Amino acid sequence: MKREEYLIFILEIAGSALIGFFIGSLLLLVLGFDPLKSFSSLIIGGLYDLDYLLSEATFVMLTGLAFSIPAMASVFNIGGEGQVYLGALASLIVAHHTGNILLSVLIGVSVGALVGGLMGILKVYKGVNEVITAIMLNWIFYYITLYLITNIYYNPLAPYESIRVPKSSRIGYIDTPLGRIHLIFFISIITCIITYIVLYNTKIGYSIRVSGLSYKSAEYAGFNPSKNVVYSLVMGGVFGGLSGALKVVGFSYSIDTTMSSLYGIGFDGIGVALLGRNNPLGIIFSSIFYSMLIVGGHIMQIELNAPKELVDTLIGTLIIALSLPYAYRIILSKFKIMRMVRRF
Amino acid sequence: MSDSYNNVVIETKKLSKIYPDGVIALRDVNFKVYKGEIHGVLGENGAGKTTLMRILYGEIKPSKGIIKIFGKNVNFKGPWDAIRTGIFMVYQHFSLIPSFTVLENLVLTSLSMGEKSWDRVSKKAEKIMKTTGLSVPLDEKVEDLPIGLQQRVEILKALLMNAKILILDEPTSILTPIETKQLFSSLKELKKAGITVIFITHKLKEAISITDKITVMRKGIIVGTIETRKATIEKLAKMMVEKDIKVNAKRDRKTSKEVILSVRNLEIKDENNVLKVKSVSFDLKRGEILGIAGVQGNGQKELIEAIVGLKKVERGKIYLGKLNITNKPTSEIYSLGISYVPDSRCIGLVQEMNLIENSSLTHMKTVSKNGFIMWRMAIKLTKNIVYRYNVITKSLKTKVKYLSGGNQQRLMIGREVLRKPKVIIVAEPTHGLDLAATKFIREQLVKLRDEGKGVLLVSSDLDEILQLSDRIAVMFDGKIVALKKADEISLEEIGMLMGGAY
Amino acid sequence: MIKEFIDLLFLSLTYMTPLVLAAIGEIVTEKSGIVNIGIEGIMLFAAFSATVVTFFTGNPFFGVLIGTVLGGLLGLVHGIISIYLRGDQIIAGIGLNILAYGATAVGLISIWGNFGSSPFVAKIPKIVVYNRYISPLTISSIIIAIVFWWVLSRTAIGLKIRACGESPHAAEAMGVNIWLVRLGSTIVGGSLSGLAGAYMSIDLVGQFSRGITAGRGFIALANVVFSNWNPLLTILGGFVFGFFDALAAYLDIIVQSIALTYIFKIIPYASTLIVVTAFIGKSKPPADLGKPYFKE
Repeated sequence: MKREEYLIFILEIAGSALIGFFIGSLLLLVLGFDPLKSFSSLIIGGLYDLDYLLSEATFVMLTGLAFSIPAMASVFNIGGEGQVYLGALASLIVAHHTGNILLSVLIGVSVGALVGGLMGILKVYKGVNEVITAIMLNWIFYYITLYLITNIYYNPLAPYESIRVPKSSRIGYIDTPLGRIHLIFFISIITCIITYIVLYNTKIGYSIRVSGLSYKSAEYAGFNPSKNVVYSLVMGGVFGGLSGALKVVGFSYSIDTTMSSLYGIGFDGIGVALLGRNNPLGIIFSSIFYSMLIVGGHIMQIELNAPKELVDTLIGTLIIALSLPYAYRIILSKFKIMRMVRRF
Repeated sequence: MSDSYNNVVIETKKLSKIYPDGVIALRDVNFKVYKGEIHGVLGENGAGKTTLMRILYGEIKPSKGIIKIFGKNVNFKGPWDAIRTGIFMVYQHFSLIPSFTVLENLVLTSLSMGEKSWDRVSKKAEKIMKTTGLSVPLDEKVEDLPIGLQQRVEILKALLMNAKILILDEPTSILTPIETKQLFSSLKELKKAGITVIFITHKLKEAISITDKITVMRKGIIVGTIETRKATIEKLAKMMVEKDIKVNAKRDRKTSKEVILSVRNLEIKDENNVLKVKSVSFDLKRGEILGIAGVQGNGQKELIEAIVGLKKVERGKIYLGKLNITNKPTSEIYSLGISYVPDSRCIGLVQEMNLIENSSLTHMKTVSKNGFIMWRMAIKLTKNIVYRYNVITKSLKTKVKYLSGGNQQRLMIGREVLRKPKVIIVAEPTHGLDLAATKFIREQLVKLRDEGKGVLLVSSDLDEILQLSDRIAVMFDGKIVALKKADEISLEEIGMLMGGAY
Repeated sequence: MIKEFIDLLFLSLTYMTPLVLAAIGEIVTEKSGIVNIGIEGIMLFAAFSATVVTFFTGNPFFGVLIGTVLGGLLGLVHGIISIYLRGDQIIAGIGLNILAYGATAVGLISIWGNFGSSPFVAKIPKIVVYNRYISPLTISSIIIAIVFWWVLSRTAIGLKIRACGESPHAAEAMGVNIWLVRLGSTIVGGSLSGLAGAYMSIDLVGQFSRGITAGRGFIALANVVFSNWNPLLTILGGFVFGFFDALAAYLDIIVQSIALTYIFKIIPYASTLIVVTAFIGKSKPPADLGKPYFKE
């Protein structure tokens, strides 16, 4: 049974990716681009610079966790965007005032946790749907951040970005045989591993998973499923805040005034989480794949003048394709592939 | 009652149903029903009665055989073909929309017949209510009506669609004895109006009291059809059952007088803030099985949920030994030595998780240390349960939803027993299980009693209560209306108390 | 003072319109048991296509029509995914939103080569009332609300839709074709969201810009909850939410400060959040909402 499940799992991901690329090709053709050239530019461009690839992967890895962990408790955290903005903003401000790395990151993370907690409390104790709170908060934090970096924390020497993070509070990179790699990548990998261990080897992780799969069973077992919902959202907020904090303190060292460096990380995290099937270890791989798409998209734009939003289109299609678990089972059973799978 | 050929409304010839996995649900069934009969179909779980009816209703396709309705060969593709032919089936679980009014439900049904006028439906319904004496308030929401009236709405639906043959699947399983009486008189009215009624049941007494003819089924075949006036309970029982499944619950053991669980003047409300348990008191002693008898919905569920802390106690107290455990959190109550096996396998188990994870559900103290789960211990525990309780599974890592009901139940009970509790509460432990599983589980409960545990058994299956209990409590309308030793109370008395008489 | 206040009220009506239309659409969809949080994406697609059509034909009515039809088609897609393929409705909706954002941005670039907004197009002619303008679509939205309220609560088809959302198994046993009814409802819902989106680009602003909907699809969702799934109450909710939207725009014009623009922009979202939090305890969604239907 387990082996069959693995194969279906892989088929699902491969199938979704294929659909995504297929539709993407159609769109490219319609717009007058050569799909093969575009995709090769995408993939090669994506993989060319390892450091860039892994760094971009870091942020969506963390927002992937931000979506996955609440998803384990059957809650949808699409507030990753807002958590990223606020985490970035908070850590920027703290770094500016204190110059301390640890404090900046900690505050960034705590702010994210508060946001998650707010969403959780509103959901559990007031019954407000978390999708609505998330989107509203996303926009509120977007504008708060925008206001602050253009009016108070702006950089007088460079009008297109905020103040820079002081050198003392920057997280740098290390030199490896494969070249220079930003430290933040390793931080996120460790975070994923720790999360996996917590989720599958601790009582609280188990309790959250039970709450997500069967609320009444969790109650029966003496767990407190409502509190677990809040905890999972707090954790989600922590990851979101961490992603924003690391971006500011460990990569771009400032926030640009168009917010383009922060925009979309939260939503991309959703795709990463789905592709990684909500498994922290799977997310490590799916985030690298995703990063390839994003980075490759930039390259594709430069080389072929194809708009990088095309990648958004691909990603959107991928997510829709990933919402169809049963579709694959239905299709598979119809084509009797199941029989083949069983023989393995 | 003439048995002329023209009066045969249903006839099947060599009707069989074999499932792809080899299970033979029906074998060469020749079933005959005459017009205007109240025809009972009697059999235990798995005898094939429901399968037969579902085939007649077009829900299941037969593998072999001929079906004739009103003398004509039919080949139904779905229930709507059956309904158009004049057959209507009333299930145990009604197909009514609870938040709609009765009239809205009737209009919805009539829509499928092309009738769009609320007015005409209303008038037709009133006419039917007059001629058959079956009345229901048209403007009340279905969810606000008692079960007996809801069932009546179902029957009204059937009549509204010009049904001439009515199939009732275990209609009395959710009714009180008084509502059952009302149902039976309704059926007599329907008979007068020329409607044929097929009545599926596993209750011998009912079959004898209301039907004209009884067909007994066993393991997919018809054992025989007998005229009710010529039938006796003993004859029918013999036809129905192959072997005696009575568990020899020895009651000559000295039961200790030590009270292990005591409940005083409990008042409990349900989710809608309605008082469901109205001042209940009783004691559970060590080394005894206390059976709580009663039709589902009389407060039993709320009572046991309150004992384990899943429902709030508004008034009253619960004591475990000398300790007051009223309104304590569930996890604490479990650790004090109470185990609970709920009536639903979707609550007691997490269907999407595997056996190991499910076994750990209420064993967190044994299986976890410092917040971390030691999976090796969990696996050991699971193996223990699987071995001792004969849980059949390919692997411990299989998701529990792939196990049969019987095996899931064994897992649940095994898990709770292995917690070595002082008190174990079980609700509907053998509901929907096959004979072997039923026998096994009942034996386990008796074993627990022999080991000196206190067993609180809640069951709507009277046979089970009678077989297993040392003392029996009957619940009706949130109160315990009787609490006596098992040999001091009769089946009839329990039945009447369950129905609210006295 | 009075003049300003009346100006604000009229402005609220214009902002109310898409929130009412999209909300009614989603009410119909949700009453049948399907949840579509992708209405933001539908609005975006519709806004874009309406602009394109109006640009090339010069006819704004035609643009609105195409936007509405496209909305219906997207509703159909969501319906197929949710009903026949039993996909996760929330995730499919999220995917639709992301797809819409990307695809419309790509479209913006490939048609007009502009990364921000399209050129201005012809608008729907307005009706003049007391020297102020009201769009015929605003009036239509109120009429549509009344019509749909009546259909849902008093007609046969409304009964069928509600039955699917409350107890699909019972409904099917009573002869209702769950698949068709739900599919029809998602198409209607999508069309109304499409109309709302088309209104935003053709009627309200007069051009398409990236992300023109700015979360209004989600505010419409909040309106669904606020109105307790009653189309009549969406008018009230739409007006309340629209008022805050209008207030933000109005303050922006009056105060003329680039810095404070951002703060004003927060008003509609913050107020939506507060209103929803305050009112939510009293709402009751359809019993079977969001669950895929499995035949026994």
